[in-house]
Amino acid sequence: MPHNESYYYAAYAVATGIYVAYAVLLLVRWNRVKARLPGKDE
Amino acid sequence: MKPTPLTIAALIAVVVAYIRAIFFTPLEAIQGPAQKILYIHAPAAWVAFMAFGLVAITSALYLWLREDRLDRIAESSAEVGVVFTTVVLTTGPIWGKPIWGAYWTWDARLTLTLFLWFIYVAYLVMRGAVDDHAMRARYSAVLGILGALLIPFIHLSVYLFRTLHPKPILIKPSAPSMPGEMLTTLLLAFAAFTLLYVALLRARYRYAVTRDGANPAEEHRAA
Repeated sequence: MPHNESYYYAAYAVATGIYVAYAVLLLVRWNRVKARLPGKDE
Repeated sequence: MKPTPLTIAALIAVVVAYIRAIFFTPLEAIQGPAQKILYIHAPAAWVAFMAFGLVAITSALYLWLREDRLDRIAESSAEVGVVFTTVVLTTGPIWGKPIWGAYWTWDARLTLTLFLWFIYVAYLVMRGAVDDHAMRARYSAVLGILGALLIPFIHLSVYLFRTLHPKPILIKPSAPSMPGEMLTTLLLAFAAFTLLYVALLRARYRYAVTRDGANPAEEHRAA
C-alpha cells in the first residue's frame, strides 16, 4: 500500500480552508452591509 | 448574522462526515490514504453541479417571471457553486499527484470542469460590472443557463472521451462499485455537503436581501 498521507492531509486542509475562508468572507460582507442599513446610524 | 439551526446542523454533519472518513473508514488497498480524498472531492463536485443546476432553473424562471427573488437565488447559488468547484479543482490535483504522478492533465473532465469554473467566475464578475439592475439580471440569467449546459458533458466526459479520470461510482445505471463501509461514508459525505450547500445558500441569499435593502438607490448592485 502506498504511503501518501501528506496528500490526504493536504486535501482535507485545503478544502476546509476554502469553506472557512468563504464563510468568513460572507460574514464580513454581511456586517458591512448591515452597517449601511437605513436608520442604523440614528 | 446569527447561526441558524440549519447552519449548526450542517456543521455537525460535516464534522461527523470528516470523523467517519478519517478514523472509521478503511484504507483502500491500492491507492492507500490518498483514496480518502474522494470523500471530500466527489461530494463537492455533486454540490457544484446541483448549485449551477439551480442557477439555470432560477435563471430560466427569472427570464419568464422577472421576479427579483429568482435573480438573487441564482446569484447566491452561483457564488456558492464557485466555492465548491474551487474545492473540486484543488482536491482533485492533490489526489492526482500520488495516483497519476501529475497534479494536472488536460483530460476532458478536468478541462471542462475548469471551464465551468471560469464561466461562473465570469458570471460573478459580470454581475459586479453591470450597473443597470434589469440588464444585469437578464445577462446573468442567459450566462447562468448556458454555463449549466456543460454539466451533462462533464458527467459523461469519462464515457465520451479517453480520459484518466475514474468513472462514476454512484451516479451511474449499475449498482455502486464500492464496499459497504466506504459507500456509507461517501453517502454521509454527500448528505453533509449538500446540507452545507443549503446553509451557505441561505446565508448568501439573506446577505443579498440585506444588501439590496441597504442600497435602495443603487438597488441590487453586486457587492
